[in-house]
Amino acid sequence: INHIVHNGGLYKRPFNEAFEETPMLVAVLTYVGYGVLTLFGYLRDFMRQWKIEKCQNATEREEQKDFVPLYQDFENFYNRNLYMRIRDSWNRPICSVPGAKVDMMERVSHDYNWTFTYTGRVVKDIINMGSYNYLGFAQKAGTCQEAAAKVLSHYGAGVCSTRQEMGNLDKHEELEKLVARFLGVESAMAYGMGFATNSMNIPALVGKGCLILSDELNHASLVLGARLSGATIRIFKHNNMQSLEKLLKDAIVHGQPRTRRPWKKILILVEGIYSMEGSIVRLPEVIALKKKYKSYLYLDEAHSIGALGPSGRGVVEYFGLSPEDVDVMMGTFTKSFGAAGGYIGGKKELIDYLRTYSHSAVYATSLSPPVVEQIITSMKCIMGEDGTTVGKARVQQLAENTRYFRRRLKEMGFIIYGNEDSPVVPLMLYMPAKIGAFGREMLKRNIGVVVVGFPATPIIESRARFCLSAAHTKEMLDTALKEINEVGDLLQLKYSRHRLVPLLDRPFDETTYEETED
Amino acid sequence: MNVGVAHSEVNPNTRVMNSRGMWLTYALGVGMLHIVLLSIPFFSVPVAWTLTNVIHNLGMYVFLHAVKGTPFETPDQGKARLLTHWEQLDYGVQFTSSRKFFTISPIILYFLTSFYTKYDSTHFILNTTSLLTVLIPKLPQLHGVRIFGINKY
Repeated sequence: INHIVHNGGLYKRPFNEAFEETPMLVAVLTYVGYGVLTLFGYLRDFMRQWKIEKCQNATEREEQKDFVPLYQDFENFYNRNLYMRIRDSWNRPICSVPGAKVDMMERVSHDYNWTFTYTGRVVKDIINMGSYNYLGFAQKAGTCQEAAAKVLSHYGAGVCSTRQEMGNLDKHEELEKLVARFLGVESAMAYGMGFATNSMNIPALVGKGCLILSDELNHASLVLGARLSGATIRIFKHNNMQSLEKLLKDAIVHGQPRTRRPWKKILILVEGIYSMEGSIVRLPEVIALKKKYKSYLYLDEAHSIGALGPSGRGVVEYFGLSPEDVDVMMGTFTKSFGAAGGYIGGKKELIDYLRTYSHSAVYATSLSPPVVEQIITSMKCIMGEDGTTVGKARVQQLAENTRYFRRRLKEMGFIIYGNEDSPVVPLMLYMPAKIGAFGREMLKRNIGVVVVGFPATPIIESRARFCLSAAHTKEMLDTALKEINEVGDLLQLKYSRHRLVPLLDRPFDETTYEETED
Repeated sequence: MNVGVAHSEVNPNTRVMNSRGMWLTYALGVGMLHIVLLSIPFFSVPVAWTLTNVIHNLGMYVFLHAVKGTPFETPDQGKARLLTHWEQLDYGVQFTSSRKFFTISPIILYFLTSFYTKYDSTHFILNTTSLLTVLIPKLPQLHGVRIFGINKY
């Protein structure tokens, strides 16, 4: 059953997003699991303190035991008692290009993950379901690589300067014109690091006396940029337009907290695809609200550029809207373009202002030339300007892979969060032990996945996150699905009760409280 | 895996008690404790009830009112390091539903215990003192108060 949201005809296509509710038994067992781990953690800490067990963490020197402690060792409790047990699912060293298949260095631990030793063997051809390689441009052979190698021999690898000093290459100008044409905006600017694009440019756009309305599940770079700017931050429920409208109304009616003056600017921060949920922002409604209450919109398309839309132009094209409605379109080149860096696109006055006032432009080194060439070649390939239809084929392959993978996983009975069209697929695991077990079992079967648990997610919602790629062939997906099916049966992960009417909103409580700034 | 990687909640400890199924797990935990105590043949029914009450209040005091800070590093430069879990709940907002639930549940347990111990004097004194140790720190007036500097740092 499709949930077609009729909202005054704002949506031109069905918007199917679902977050199935946690089964109560699973929630109770998850808490019991964390409770047992906590009790054992206290026991082990007690044994370590009384020297019954060797303490393998860093400790203070004997001479400094009477000083005021430098760290509070309770803050490390989770790390040493829970994270250390399953630590081998993260920071795995890979030794080939992270395409559809990747090679990994094998490592073993003889003291329960406190130290690792490399056996020297390389595990080859692991199916890579964890890299943000949406269009498959992470490859070591092909037109992109040849062009980048030529530019490397011409320009060298480093730029050794910032944009405003000696680091403005003609390649950068060419890239920015191309990005502006790709997005359909007047002008664009490119930066060396995607995280730094957010955290250094939001302070240039808003300051004290402005209001930022940011989504609950925004990425750390957006949160950091918002905090650095000094503006007042209010958080609305994830993708919940009633919550956003209520905050907008309250802000405009009541003004600034004590003085009741009107806000200088109101900026709404949303992302195109939220990478931990797999949900897509309700952009038509956000734009309608923005126009009604006369605020500005900052759209972070880190995961959605190249991955959504019939020709890969991102979430704006996916909904059939005009890029002029979004005031600041930000994105990164790390995910779909196989390079590094970020960009901001918008009106010419805005970008000219950012060229002068952005911290990245003044203090950070500009993009490296071979990386720029990789972006230029891959973007031309997606747009079809290199004369082939490879780009269009990749975008279509990604869409097909997404639909197929999600449909098969739902049929198998797993709980999958998020929108039907998003290439990020979170599969719910819930229990802490299953996080480690899932990661290890999938590695044994030669599939690499990313697992996430508490405190990065809410306490009961640990998950495994699959990122689909246009480079995955149907055979690879079938192999992966077969293995996931086996592991799902082994670990009893098939929680879905196949409700005909899934929950549309995230299963959170009604009222949430936020930290009040002093 | 660090706090703040996938959400902008600064201190997840504030929302743990509101999560789905936490109250049910807590009630089941107390029930399990009581059944275990009842099945030990040496304890009569009043002793088992008093022991349940006392152990439950002791556990609640230790985990909610004695242990301070968070078991993980938070991105707010340690604002909650000197706060107990009870003070961290919902960022210090009083009279939320979780706080009401955890205030009422020791009182209900006290009523049941008083009934099953037939209001005997020794049991009464024990149960009342342990109820007071767990109710007084929950008063809003005692938010952040450390008597005689105990447990301050």
